[in-house]
Amino acid sequence: MSPRRADTGGRIDRLKTIRFTFDGTAYTGHAGDTLASALLAKGVTLYGRSFKYHRPRGLLTAGVEEPNALVTVLKGEVREPNIPATMVEIHDGLVAISQNRFPSLAWDINAVNQLGGKILSAGFYYKTFMGPVFGPLKGTRFWMFCEHFIRRAAGLGSAGSAKDPARYERMNAFCDVLVVGSGPAGLMATKAAADQGARVMLADLEPHFGGSANWSEETIDGAPAADWARRTVAQLAGRDNVRLLPRTTVWGYYDNNTLAALERVSDHKEHPGKGEPRHRYWAIRAKSVVLATGAFERPLIFPGNDRPGVMLAHAAERYANEFGVLPGERIALFTNNDSAYRAAVALKKAGAAVVAIADVRPELSPEMRKLAAEAEAEIFAGHAVVATEGGKALSGLKLQRFDLANGALIGDARSIHADCLLMSGGWSPTIHLASQAGAKAEWNAARQAFLPPKPTQSWIGAGAFTGSFSTAEAIAEGRAAGLAAAGGQSTPSMLPTVEAVPGDPDPAPVFEIRAKGKSFVDFQHDVTAEDVRLAHREGFVSVEHLKRYTTLGMATDQGKSSNVPGLAIMAEALGKPIPEVGTTRFRPPFAPVSIGSLAAERFGDLKPERLTPMHDWHLANGATMYSAGLWYRPMIYGLSGETVEQAYVREAKATRESAGIVDVSTLGKIAVQGPDAAAFLDRVYTNMFSTLAVGKARYGLMLREDGLAFDDGTTWRLGEQDFLMTTTTANAGKVMQHLEYFLDVIWPELKVHVTSVTDEWAGAAIGGPKARQILAACVTGTSVDNATLPFMGIVRGEISGVPVMICRLSFSGEMAFEVYSGAGHGTHVWKALVEAGKPFGLVTYGLEALGTMRIEKGHVTGAEIDGRTTARDLHLDWMLSKKKPFIGSAMMDREGLIASDRLELVGLIALDNRPLNGGAHIVEEVDEANPHDSIGHITACCYSPALGRHIALALVEGGKARHGTRAHVSDPLRNRFGPVEIVSNHFFDPDGSRMHG
Amino acid sequence: MLITCPYCGPRDVIEFTYQGDGNRERPDPASQNFEAWNAYVYDRLNPAGDHNEIWQHSGGCRAHLKVVRNTLTHEISSVAFARGDHGSAARHKAEDKA
Amino acid sequence: MVEHQSPLEPEFHVGSHGNFEHGVEIILTETRPGSIVQLAAWPGEEKRLIAAIRTVTGLALPDGAGGGVSDGVKSVFGFAPGKFTVADEAEGLAAAFAKVVTSAIGTVTDLSHGRTAIRIAGPKAEWVLAKFFAIDFSLPAFPNGAGRSTAHHDVFAQIQRTGADQFDIYVFRSFARSFWKALCHASEEVGYEVQ
Repeated sequence: MSPRRADTGGRIDRLKTIRFTFDGTAYTGHAGDTLASALLAKGVTLYGRSFKYHRPRGLLTAGVEEPNALVTVLKGEVREPNIPATMVEIHDGLVAISQNRFPSLAWDINAVNQLGGKILSAGFYYKTFMGPVFGPLKGTRFWMFCEHFIRRAAGLGSAGSAKDPARYERMNAFCDVLVVGSGPAGLMATKAAADQGARVMLADLEPHFGGSANWSEETIDGAPAADWARRTVAQLAGRDNVRLLPRTTVWGYYDNNTLAALERVSDHKEHPGKGEPRHRYWAIRAKSVVLATGAFERPLIFPGNDRPGVMLAHAAERYANEFGVLPGERIALFTNNDSAYRAAVALKKAGAAVVAIADVRPELSPEMRKLAAEAEAEIFAGHAVVATEGGKALSGLKLQRFDLANGALIGDARSIHADCLLMSGGWSPTIHLASQAGAKAEWNAARQAFLPPKPTQSWIGAGAFTGSFSTAEAIAEGRAAGLAAAGGQSTPSMLPTVEAVPGDPDPAPVFEIRAKGKSFVDFQHDVTAEDVRLAHREGFVSVEHLKRYTTLGMATDQGKSSNVPGLAIMAEALGKPIPEVGTTRFRPPFAPVSIGSLAAERFGDLKPERLTPMHDWHLANGATMYSAGLWYRPMIYGLSGETVEQAYVREAKATRESAGIVDVSTLGKIAVQGPDAAAFLDRVYTNMFSTLAVGKARYGLMLREDGLAFDDGTTWRLGEQDFLMTTTTANAGKVMQHLEYFLDVIWPELKVHVTSVTDEWAGAAIGGPKARQILAACVTGTSVDNATLPFMGIVRGEISGVPVMICRLSFSGEMAFEVYSGAGHGTHVWKALVEAGKPFGLVTYGLEALGTMRIEKGHVTGAEIDGRTTARDLHLDWMLSKKKPFIGSAMMDREGLIASDRLELVGLIALDNRPLNGGAHIVEEVDEANPHDSIGHITACCYSPALGRHIALALVEGGKARHGTRAHVSDPLRNRFGPVEIVSNHFFDPDGSRMHG
Repeated sequence: MLITCPYCGPRDVIEFTYQGDGNRERPDPASQNFEAWNAYVYDRLNPAGDHNEIWQHSGGCRAHLKVVRNTLTHEISSVAFARGDHGSAARHKAEDKA
Repeated sequence: MVEHQSPLEPEFHVGSHGNFEHGVEIILTETRPGSIVQLAAWPGEEKRLIAAIRTVTGLALPDGAGGGVSDGVKSVFGFAPGKFTVADEAEGLAAAFAKVVTSAIGTVTDLSHGRTAIRIAGPKAEWVLAKFFAIDFSLPAFPNGAGRSTAHHDVFAQIQRTGADQFDIYVFRSFARSFWKALCHASEEVGYEVQ
């Protein structure tokens, strides 16, 4: 005998057949089935192998808390492991496989681990694989040696390595009321809040709203509860102010009523719609939240409670009533409370034989006796299950008389033949989100459960979540919560009437039956009751430590079914009441979350990137692009067959011989405007700007408050109260924030506005002996001769009909000009310049040649202004004005910042004519075997076409005093050692005759 | 965490940049009092409880804000423009009504 | 007159895209205003600046943070304390403002090249924008004409609602193509048309 599909019942569509495979075997199910219900209907009892012992495991539950039946779903090359079969909706073409078994689920070699059960107890790995205290495998090395084998034997499903092509999205949502859970309480809350006109969102992790109404077989307002739920949902769906989110797990409750949810948008579809994401991550800001998350039924802890065929009572009720599936033909029940009796009746009605109800309580109410009679079940009051029998399916169980007062087992055991055992150890409200929101749960002795704490954020509980387990209470509390959450007044009104079987919500305080054999507490992590006691004997008293030592509650199900039983056993061992032992705090996520949904759109092609106005021209003209922060810049414009070095050497050489042009649009540009702009710049820069004439530019240096160098660049005075500041590409954002901070916080009295205009201007720097001739050939409306456009002068004119601003300044050391135009005209101007330059041998050059020429000139960039260097270290002390205070001036002369042994900027020439490397150390004496006593390091290096040598800039102790001396590079990582000469950082044209012309 | 910008309204913390301890006082620019400068540049309060902080709404209006935040609970009890002369800049009228 | 080059060009594909077989629920376009100008008042001078805006554009700004108005040709909205973005189909707005916004009132910054204006319209506009920005796009929270400053990752955006189902998004030009691609991608599920 085995599980089977009943002829009627449930919300599945028996007319729609769906084909799927599990472990390579083809199965059929019906629309509305989960993988669990479809397989169960086909008589499948074995779903997985346990984590440590590889014990055969069946379905324990019917929902998200399932610890045993974890499967891997395959979609093409992509595998997603560890999904509860109870949460997989079947669709045509679904491929699922079982986990943690070899070679197959039925015949698993590692099942031999069961024989070593005593050894594989709590803390087994820590104790066994500590390793010897010395020798080649000492300490953790031994663990690392063993780990490989352990990982193979123990564990869950394995993740794939194929790239996931699915689409994931993030969604931001705002609402007045978020209702979590769509059982009778959640539906009533949604309706009540929506009736008040509030913006309401309703989320449920199941595909169908209704919660327990879908399987309780109760009657609401005279109709089957499932019909009532369907009708209510249909009404809500038609309202503009309600958003319904099925298949959506609210998994995190964060500060300020911000909640995180995962919507499984298309997992249940064979083919997602065009552009439809697989998962959607919802960031929800709710003014208030109604938590109607229900409760989880608890297992009872007794030997063999993990055998396939042992299931939670309500789960069987769900399979029968919601999916029309009988989990067995001969069913026994074991309970400590009244709720299981309803399951007995339901299964009897669905067509199974209920052979026995074992109840730990010696006295049963007349109502329960009546229900048992209705189920035609024999009652064993004051009895407990002490063993189960069978292999990959249940064949029977043993009962023994049980003393509720002391837990003792009395008399002989008797055997009962059954293929399914349902258990109920009471109910634990699903308080996870409330716990995440910040407060401690409170133990309720009557309910034998942790009830939600007093809200620390704006939420209201309703229904089983609050410990009110009846549907009538859920409906009343749901309505009240919805009203209150929407800010409405509670008015007397007719509530839907409920007809339900009676029952006492309070269970007997029994969690464990102590008998011989393995009794599982945490099914997913294979933690037994004995493991918990062992942890206690070894001195673990804190529940947080217990959790980590035994790994109880640390599996993917996060102890949804094991938490309270584990605590109860620990409390008993400690001889303390449960509330004194306390509970662990729940942390997000409530259920596993796909990493893809968290990364959402911020990867691959959708990563934000910044492009200059001339980007497409660069691509079309052979540029190899280089990503600098978010920007893309040409690195070289390589000719065919050229190496990077050949290309930049050619570009730099041609620039120094005739002319070169480079895209400098990425430089940070900030408009500094207002009557106090000049005064502000005097405070921000180390040098004076108030004395700068309109139409002139000046090189400026900024320090940080602590006196270290911060950024450099030129600032152009376009008008009396109008400056254009340029910054390095990398620091543009930081400088902007720095200026805004001082204007907002320190000097609010200054009338200055700063605006990022980086993107307003396209910049092209054209330099070289022929640069002026090229400009003269294409610029109209102004002369560019030395008188009109002296060094650091600015003129306005036109190029090819477009207004431009030209500043004569130089980074390359050549006679050079920066040509700025509106960004939308950037390519137009660039092309005109390139065209005008053709007769003069103009080349386009990229970052590599730019870097080469700046190293030859000894100019500093971010590699030298690295947050540790001062203006003096960089030989920029000539820029430190003594006439005024500026940011950093008070701190820059501290002892440590003016010491003579500081690292100072120098130039290096490789005396062995071999390339140098950035980051290499400089030493006085080479010791290849034992490199030591670094006196500095290389910040930038290149082959210099101007010098015909491999050169570098470096920061070296007491650098200037070492000019003309020898040292060595010591770069053990790249095995590069060799002699260098320390020289001035101004390698090339030190008196600037080329740029002054 | 949400910060209620006096101009933009409540926004996610990712739109903001922490700009440091709001208790610092910058000495007179010309001051040579090294102790005062040292305190300003390096000393920071680290209270367990309410803390005066400067945040910039860098992903929004870019105004700097004086925020009083409880470092234990993240509760924000007050937000104001660091520039007093922006006033309290009432939220958009239509929103006030909403 | 040399036209401004659009930063979107290689990724701007006129026509219907994505899941449009069941109808297009999003329309994307680049509005390409001739002028985009930023105006900023000194503290206490906001009223005079608002008067200047009225003088130049004829648009009367409603009071309050983020207030704005659009007549279909010209648009203005507040995006920060004392600061406003003004856009006009015609060029030359910065020069016009420079004449009336004196240095006693505030400053004028021409951003006609530096910002790219992208319009998203259609019944799913709020839905698609919610994928990018953590602000409430519902009409009561974000009234017609109003402006908002926000960001999507590193992309700063100023957004003005210019219709019940229509928003104009001003982004930095250098980010515009990247943002446009993301916007198209996010619109695929509901079907979109580029005009």
